Amino acid sequence: MTSIDTNILATAVGPHLFWITSRAAGVAALLLSSLSVCVGLTIGGRFTKLDRLDLRTTHEALSLATLVALAVHGISLLGDSYVHPSLADISIPFLSSYKTLWTSMGIVAFWTMALLGLSYYARSHIGVKRWRKLHRLTALAWMLGIAHSLGEGTDAGQIWFLAMTAIAVVPALALLAVRLSESSATSQAHAK
Amino acid sequence: MNHQPPIPPVEPTPTPSAKQLEARALARRHRDRMRLRTRRIRRTVIAGATSVFIAAFSGIYVQLATGHDPALVAAASRRTTLTASTTSSSTPTSTTTTTNSGEDDTSTETGTSSEESSTAASSESSTGATAVTTSQS
Repeated sequence: MTSIDTNILATAVGPHLFWITSRAAGVAALLLSSLSVCVGLTIGGRFTKLDRLDLRTTHEALSLATLVALAVHGISLLGDSYVHPSLADISIPFLSSYKTLWTSMGIVAFWTMALLGLSYYARSHIGVKRWRKLHRLTALAWMLGIAHSLGEGTDAGQIWFLAMTAIAVVPALALLAVRLSESSATSQAHAK
Repeated sequence: MNHQPPIPPVEPTPTPSAKQLEARALARRHRDRMRLRTRRIRRTVIAGATSVFIAAFSGIYVQLATGHDPALVAAASRRTTLTASTTSSSTPTSTTTTTNSGEDDTSTETGTSSEESSTAASSESSTGATAVTTSQS
């Protein structure tokens, strides 16, 4: 490719850099959060013989990486010249006029994930049992995020995106189903 | 006379036995190993997350630069459809203009339809398409 071609390419893509950054961060957040949910579910279950401490460290690192990716996903949109949202549009649900429902879903999912995820560092104040109960809601926030990406994502109709989402989401959903069935069986046994 | 309280005798600290020293060293080594493992896991996750972001960014960048971006392709096709419908709608208007060239009303008619067409082409919305249909009828 000649230097002129490269210049033309850069000029054509230049205005969309914020948009591309936001989309890439969204993709990264989707993968990282799904992986984090998988690891989180394996900590409590009996699916693996890996060291629990290693799993916990991995889960924590993945969760923090997800939050960083989500922050980049939202903040980079502030520079987008097409949607041009304000800080309030990307942080307060039902305020943005652009695909209001899907955008709000994403915002709610982010705040829920951030609050429930960071509450780990205050679990001694909350109470470990109460914190564990609250932490289960993270799965709901994750599902809300997936709905947001499929409903609003620019690449949602693309085969590569759907395949990637399926590869990341299906194992996590399966683990979640197993965990839910296990816990319901345990509660039934306790009731008897 | 200054009466100072008697200084209590300092008890000699018991020297740790060889077994205790060995246990402490073992604990320190174990702690260091754990810390190293934690650091390695964190670094791996950071590297993985960065790689995923870079891969996604590059993929989307190339897709956009080669003109295969889903959003831009959809917008371009919408624009083409609207332009095509605008062109087809302007043809009967021009015929009318030629037929009624002597009448006063024609200039007003032509002006209105072209105005609507340009609005439809620029707005890229379904409302714009309706405007084109109205001008055709």
